[in-house]
Amino acid sequence: MSIAVAPAVVVERSVPMAGAVELVVYHPPSAAAVNPGQFFQLAVGAPRTILRRPYSAAWSDAASGRVGFIFNVVGAGSAWLSQRDEGSELDLLGPLGRGFELDGDRPAVCIAGGLGIAVFLGVVQALVARGRKVTMLQGARMSAQLLPADRLPGADVRTATDDGSRGHHGSVVDLISSHFPPTFTGERQGGGIDLFACGPTPMLQSMIGLAQRHAVPLSSIQVALETPMGCGVGTCLGCAAPRREGGYLLTCQDGPCVRADRIDWDRMEDQFHG
Amino acid sequence: MADRPDLMVDLGRGLRLRSPVLVASGTFGYGFDAPQVDRIALGAIVTKGTTLRPREGNAPNRIAETPSGMLNAIGLQNPGVDHVARVYAPVWASWNVPVIVNVAGDAIDEYVAVAERLDSVPGIAGLELNISCPNVANGLQFGVDPDQAAKLTSAVRAVTRLTLIVKLTPNVTDVVAIARAVEDAGADAVSAINTYVGMAIDVRRRRPVLSRESGGLSGPAIKPLALHAVWQVAQAVRIPVIGIGGIMTPGDALEFLLAGAVAVQLGTVNYIRPQAAHEVHEGIAVYLQEHGLRDLRDLPIRSASVLTHA
Repeated sequence: MSIAVAPAVVVERSVPMAGAVELVVYHPPSAAAVNPGQFFQLAVGAPRTILRRPYSAAWSDAASGRVGFIFNVVGAGSAWLSQRDEGSELDLLGPLGRGFELDGDRPAVCIAGGLGIAVFLGVVQALVARGRKVTMLQGARMSAQLLPADRLPGADVRTATDDGSRGHHGSVVDLISSHFPPTFTGERQGGGIDLFACGPTPMLQSMIGLAQRHAVPLSSIQVALETPMGCGVGTCLGCAAPRREGGYLLTCQDGPCVRADRIDWDRMEDQFHG
Repeated sequence: MADRPDLMVDLGRGLRLRSPVLVASGTFGYGFDAPQVDRIALGAIVTKGTTLRPREGNAPNRIAETPSGMLNAIGLQNPGVDHVARVYAPVWASWNVPVIVNVAGDAIDEYVAVAERLDSVPGIAGLELNISCPNVANGLQFGVDPDQAAKLTSAVRAVTRLTLIVKLTPNVTDVVAIARAVEDAGADAVSAINTYVGMAIDVRRRRPVLSRESGGLSGPAIKPLALHAVWQVAQAVRIPVIGIGGIMTPGDALEFLLAGAVAVQLGTVNYIRPQAAHEVHEGIAVYLQEHGLRDLRDLPIRSASVLTHA
């Protein structure tokens, strides 16, 4: 793992979908080192803030030395980041944590709720590059908050919105059952899929419940966890997530990407308050 | 250009540090995780609070950012003293930096058992007695009462030959009384201070942000408070005082050294700038050089009121 502390430079800022900001930074060592699902700790300079902010790389491109971050403004730190102009320097610490395990030949189904879509630009690209069949299920409150499908080339993109303004009217989790009921007979009967998930905790819990009802092994599901985080490197012990066998794992070190069977989903809480 | 100043620090009982800049308990794990830190640049590593048996820690949410600071209520998650002695200490023995184990517990017997287990273990340079953890049941009981603090200190003193530092809590009426009590009970040094008890409330959900409701406040928000505590303690005891509380920069550290601390611990800043300890060390060296001081012992200033009454 190469840990970058040299400054990155913002080279592009845009609005990829309603309510979100995309910052593209130029930082060749990070672009070369990061794997899909890993994160960086971004230093912020907003008054009275102190901690770095953890963000998964949305995508990276080693050839151009660029890394993209997609986020929404929820507080002072993200507001400060959203105002970084082209040319400003950003202090990145990373890449940190464990990314997704992407190798395999079963069909890959990615499921994202809200800003959980951010991590999947790089994930989809890497899965497609491995020759895997990729379906991307994307849910948002409304149509305008969906990431345009052309940002996910190679994937069969299906959408769901809470207000019914595009795609399925309801939860993105419904799309798993409506589009993939036959494969949910489980790998013991042949076939099966690999699921990759990121989104709000209630969405993940609903997905886990559905998987359990269909006897889908939770080890075939990988989840990118999101918890509040202090240091990002395993020293503050602030990013605890409940472990199935009791106690806690650390999102920053054991994750953020973990097999779903490692988590005690009944004890998992939505920790965000912003 | 004058000679490079001497930044050596003597904490007593043979524990000499090559730098006055230590990393504080709970902000550096057991020394294995922090990225890009040249351990050799550190005066010492103080480990995560270690208890007799492993502890799982508190349920999330464990941390919250607050204005210029952060709250934590980790709950002493740690692998237990046996693991520390068997697995970590042998690695520390090969490091070129002293490792001080922070010891925590619920009862005197428990502290004593941990100290006994760590005595004579190669790789362990000293003990820091955590009598001031605000985040577990009874965590503060020893730190707020001079008699209890003294009793605990002498009980541990009796079973260890290691340098014994007692970490004071600021959550008391008179920190000086506690400092004097542990000095008399045989502490080699005191570190001051641990976190201040505080809280944050999520107004949208109408509930405390932390699962334990309250937690320990650290970071620049507490620096002036910590500095005053160190100022008071340093003038009341003869043993070395290690200053802690919101230090982010060389200037912050120098304030504590001027206030009478012989060394400082960096805490929250380690989460943000892993290289901070190195920068603070260098900044102190430059300051001494620029002011023509050869030694850290030339730094402390005294209270005018104390001088008047001397």
